[in-house]
Amino acid sequence: MANAIIEFKSVTKQYDNDPPVLDDVSFEIERGKFYTLLGPSGCGKTTILRLIAGFTEASDGEIYFNNKITNHVPANKRQVNTVFQDYALFPHLNVFENVAFGLRIKKMKNAEIEQKVKEALSFVNLEGYENREIREMSGGQRQRVAIARAIVNEPEVILLDEPLSALDLKLRTEMQYELRELQRRLGITFIFVTHDQEEALAMSDEIFVINKGKIQQSGTPTDIYDEPINRFVADFIGESNIVTGKMVQDQLVEMVGKRFECVDGGFQSNEPVEIVIRPEDLEITTVERGKLQVKVDSQLFRGVHYEISSYDQDGNEWLVHSTKKAVVGEEIGLYFDPEAIHVMRFNETEEEFDKRLEAYTDGSGHGK
Amino acid sequence: MSKGSYPTKHQRNALILSIIPGLGQLYHKQYLKGISFLVLAASFFIVFRDLLNMGLWGLITLGEKPFRDHSVFLLVEGILALIVVVFGLGFYLFNLRDAYKNGQKRDEGERLSNIKEQYRNLIDNGFPYLIMSPGFLLLVFVVIFPILFVVLLAFTNYDLYHSPPAKLVDWVGFKNFLDIFKIDIWRQTFFSVLGWTLVWTFVATTFQVALGVFLAIIVNQKDVKGKAIIRTVFILPWAVPAFVSILVFAGMFNETFGTINKDIIAFFGIEPIKWMTEPLYTRIALIMIQSWLGFPFIFAMTTGVLQSIPEELYEAATVDGASSFQKFKNITLPLVLFATAPILITQYTFNFNNFNLIYLFNGGGPALPGSNAGGTDILISWIYRLTMTSAQYSKAAAITMLLSLIVISVALWQFKRTKSFQEEDMM
Repeated sequence: MANAIIEFKSVTKQYDNDPPVLDDVSFEIERGKFYTLLGPSGCGKTTILRLIAGFTEASDGEIYFNNKITNHVPANKRQVNTVFQDYALFPHLNVFENVAFGLRIKKMKNAEIEQKVKEALSFVNLEGYENREIREMSGGQRQRVAIARAIVNEPEVILLDEPLSALDLKLRTEMQYELRELQRRLGITFIFVTHDQEEALAMSDEIFVINKGKIQQSGTPTDIYDEPINRFVADFIGESNIVTGKMVQDQLVEMVGKRFECVDGGFQSNEPVEIVIRPEDLEITTVERGKLQVKVDSQLFRGVHYEISSYDQDGNEWLVHSTKKAVVGEEIGLYFDPEAIHVMRFNETEEEFDKRLEAYTDGSGHGK
Repeated sequence: MSKGSYPTKHQRNALILSIIPGLGQLYHKQYLKGISFLVLAASFFIVFRDLLNMGLWGLITLGEKPFRDHSVFLLVEGILALIVVVFGLGFYLFNLRDAYKNGQKRDEGERLSNIKEQYRNLIDNGFPYLIMSPGFLLLVFVVIFPILFVVLLAFTNYDLYHSPPAKLVDWVGFKNFLDIFKIDIWRQTFFSVLGWTLVWTFVATTFQVALGVFLAIIVNQKDVKGKAIIRTVFILPWAVPAFVSILVFAGMFNETFGTINKDIIAFFGIEPIKWMTEPLYTRIALIMIQSWLGFPFIFAMTTGVLQSIPEELYEAATVDGASSFQKFKNITLPLVLFATAPILITQYTFNFNNFNLIYLFNGGGPALPGSNAGGTDILISWIYRLTMTSAQYSKAAAITMLLSLIVISVALWQFKRTKSFQEEDMM
């Protein structure tokens, strides 16, 4: 693709004889978009970042940057800058000097440095903070200094390694907006690493869900949320009810001993599958009107909704997000639309999955 | 409500009555407290009357007849009397304050605490003081007493020619201090010793710090193998008691039998060096020995600091294209100095007063003509020499005070300047 700024081709990273941290990973990153690498700790997402940054080298495969192979290019020669998890600000330098550090190393003229640093600081709304010491800055401000330090070098790609994990919830949400906004204004590629799925859904143009050194699924936040490829993705992104069943035929699935209409297709008849229904797609109703009958086990008030945990007669747990209150111990019915059901094949690769979706959905999609 | 606007005048009355301790309390009908105050005050005067009399007289006159009056003992008694007076005054003020406060309470119509409450109060509020008091008493006699003795001694003429019991010691005011600066031999000696002390402190400490930091950074490099063993070896000089090492070194540097002159230097075909008789060489030897003795501590400390510098800082600098030297200059060194500054200062003050090495290596020698200090004497060992060999007690005391003045002011200034004392979360 002409627009790809970074491309991984069958990249593997392995330390000694341990199982590979990254296992034959290939993907492309387009210019000017906000990417998120999402996965649990130890899944290899940070390794991808370090490979792009040049802190570590791939054991196998090629990494292209602007269509040029960059496997052995040293970190400082790449058009890439990193915002570290703990910001990695120099504690003995003030804000100005922290941002100016790279420029000073490059022996730029003082006037030029001053102008660039001022510009970078105004980009992150930190004008007037030049002479503050780092210890006098709050977590969110330190975060912004770290970003200013990255953008002052005018890189083509900025890598962010879980930069929001040290902030409290409110500040984190605020910084999500700011980061997204900053990326739009700068128009450069952001690659953001996180294990927080909400963060990933809120900010990204494109998400790579990674587990055990492999990319499980990539796509826009809605794609990934509505059509997870497998149990891992469904479970990792948002809350989900996952039960096993079988596909009687296309558009008809069997679970908990009943048959339900759905919109998925492209299966063999009677193929065993896994079925995902998001808790917010379940509606509480009377036992008679419900498509499923469950017994309420426990209930938590979450602010925006009640989180109700219930069990059907087979012992499957059904999590329901509802603004209506349920009574613990009572039998209730659960109603859902055919579009709410998402059927997943076992061991389907991303390619096969995409092909099947293209063939059997006519753009109407699932869920909401 | 302003003071004195109460109908009753208990506050004033009690205060006036309390001029004799206990009466104010009795006036408040706090009989037990009042009586115990009275008894305490009376016994204070009965028990300490002689000591106070004798002590204060002795302190002022330092004795009037040789053989009958021993000036130094009188000085000691005088200091004790002073301490007793301070305690007595403290008690007296407490008594006044107590009577006054309770009077105020009564004026405001408040009830006074009864015996039980007073007891509770004493136990609760007084508990920290109760626990502290043995330590405090010890402090007074072990620390404050000797300091007072030295300070007062500096203002007397106590030396070989004014030694009790045959002679009396007299107060001479600032004469000792003036002598040190006015009489040629004293002034020259003082400034040459002070000069060498400063050079010694600065050079020896800087050497040991530089060596320790340098080695720590080298050993801390990622690709160095066998770090544990290297570190253990570097710590060894610290593990051997310093005085043993110093005495061994003194033997090694011996001009005729020492292995340095006989074997090492001879191997390179160099003439034997006068390590023990030529001041310059003794000084060089001392600085080398101190570097060797002092670097392991700095080494261990720096190693700890280095390991706590986050790797990310270096990665961030790598992205910016910093070379290894730039990383060292811009990250490692400032952070190490930040974290270790207070301890580095203590290293300087330690060497400023490093009596052990100077005295054990060559006794402060070699002797210098026209000076009452040896060629490598620093202030502290010079003071030792003055007291122990030439009995110049009062001069030694005066120099001690000058020395303390230097150490205290430098330490205060440095401690205040160092950022390490203002901020806690550098890393």
